[in-house]
Amino acid sequence: MNMLDCYVMFSAILFIIGVYCLTTKRNIIRMILGIEILINAANLNFIVFSAFRAAGFIDPLGHSIVMVSVGLAGCVTAVALAITIHAYKHYGTIDIRKLSRLRG
Amino acid sequence: MFGSVLDAIVFFALTNSIVGWATLKFNFKWLCGVYSLAGLSIASVELYEISANAFSRPLEIPLNPMPFESYLRIDALSIFMSLTFILIGFFVTAYSIRFIESEGGAPLYYTSLLLMIAGMIGVVSAGDFFTFFIFWELMCISSYVLVSFRRQHWEPVEAGMKYLIMSSAGSAAILFALSLLYGLAGTLDFIRLADAMVNSRDIWIYAILMLTLLGFGVKSAIVPLHTWLPDAYSAAPSPISAILSGVVTETGIYALCRVLLTIFISLRAEWSMILAVLSIITMTFGNIVALLQVDLKRLLAYSSIGHIGYMLAGVATGTPLGLTGALLHIFNHALMKGNSFLCAGAFIYRIGGRRLDEIAGAGRRMPATATALGISLFALTGMPPLNGFISELTIFTSTIQAGMAWLGVCIILNSAISAGYVLRVIRALLQSTNEGESADIKEAPIVMLLPILLMAALVLLFGVWPDPALKLAMKAASTLVLKG
Repeated sequence: MNMLDCYVMFSAILFIIGVYCLTTKRNIIRMILGIEILINAANLNFIVFSAFRAAGFIDPLGHSIVMVSVGLAGCVTAVALAITIHAYKHYGTIDIRKLSRLRG
Repeated sequence: MFGSVLDAIVFFALTNSIVGWATLKFNFKWLCGVYSLAGLSIASVELYEISANAFSRPLEIPLNPMPFESYLRIDALSIFMSLTFILIGFFVTAYSIRFIESEGGAPLYYTSLLLMIAGMIGVVSAGDFFTFFIFWELMCISSYVLVSFRRQHWEPVEAGMKYLIMSSAGSAAILFALSLLYGLAGTLDFIRLADAMVNSRDIWIYAILMLTLLGFGVKSAIVPLHTWLPDAYSAAPSPISAILSGVVTETGIYALCRVLLTIFISLRAEWSMILAVLSIITMTFGNIVALLQVDLKRLLAYSSIGHIGYMLAGVATGTPLGLTGALLHIFNHALMKGNSFLCAGAFIYRIGGRRLDEIAGAGRRMPATATALGISLFALTGMPPLNGFISELTIFTSTIQAGMAWLGVCIILNSAISAGYVLRVIRALLQSTNEGESADIKEAPIVMLLPILLMAALVLLFGVWPDPALKLAMKAASTLVLKG
């Protein structure tokens, strides 16, 4: 098993951990962390692929995407936390099960 | 920086906060809205100027400081979609001037609205997936802000939370799929990807297909992933529901078309079948659940899910005619569903309620709004002299040509089901009620009424004279197929 496979497998595991976190956690902040883990799994993949594309050459595309994606993830988290604060004001809790007055 | 159209909108979005400060200074509440309208007008003029060139040869605008190729590629499809976005954006902004006046926070509202429109235009004019993803996130983030804009009520906060969690998980799935794609092909450029993937049957490509369907499926509300949509649409301010339902979910359909016809050409038989099945589930679910609703905005939201199903049917055929039908339906649906939500907003503004029994008899007090709503609702069922008929007929014809007549039959049956809830709304509007209760209800203010009537007129116009939209959609669909 070469290094590339190890890295990709690791990021796939990270992705699965993120999905697990999103589906089982009830605390909104933990769910936001789950989304962060999902995005970071993808970021890790980009870095790995850009490093392994050719020997002795690192593709700038992969790194640029990671830079931008980290910034975007920060924006999403900021909006998510802002909404969480308002949810706490209205419901007095950050348990996602309590936010179920609307029916899908 | 991003080409003249996007530059204009982004500039007006970012300077809106300064204008908001001036609003306080001069005590002129409509200034932000008028300023945004000016921005959209300039953008539409710019769009018209580049359209002549872009039709003959795609216009490429490189994003310069990058050490690799990342560019906007404006072709007939981008022009067609951008035209839809700016048209709906224009009506929605004009309508919001009066609607948002009472809410406060106008600069934030208009900045987010313009950034969302800029994000959508960027998504449809992107030439590679890197640019695509940046604008996709711009669109998503501003739509989260807009859905939970009325944060002093519990409903938008809960709906916004649900929307944010589902949609950003979908975006993360898209990003993961893009990373695998980058590892597989070494590039994210649409044209080079189409070359690299044309015969690829790698095992990873199935994982990528699944993740992209998941990601774009959340945004375009394909049925198992639709649960955020009714809540978000009914909780958002009405103009935002109009633009979300009219064009934001449809950007997901565009992205699906782009991805499937660029990367997954070799898996055409597989995704065609998957999409056909999803399309039937989506349209049947949307239309049947809409029958059970008593809330006007929720009813319209479920009807949107049904219409997403029609568009998916067009995409599922994968033929130029099917794609023409899907694109034309995106345009027509944006007009008629956008107008329906704006009318619902006018009823909420004057009556204060949105349940069908609360708006009962409103048609007698607000005849112009009710007529416009009636026209758009009949267009939604696909009634002949209106624009919904043309696109649904195109999709139906394409399913028969592609040998999927069963899909076409489902569309016809669903149109019949949709007539059920449309007629319920019309009946509620025309019901006679006690004179005393609704005597003080007046027609909607003129600033709100004007966009509504104009959109209803366009619904009628593109029904009796569909040629320009149809030709543009055909041209757009032909540029979508890069290979094979």
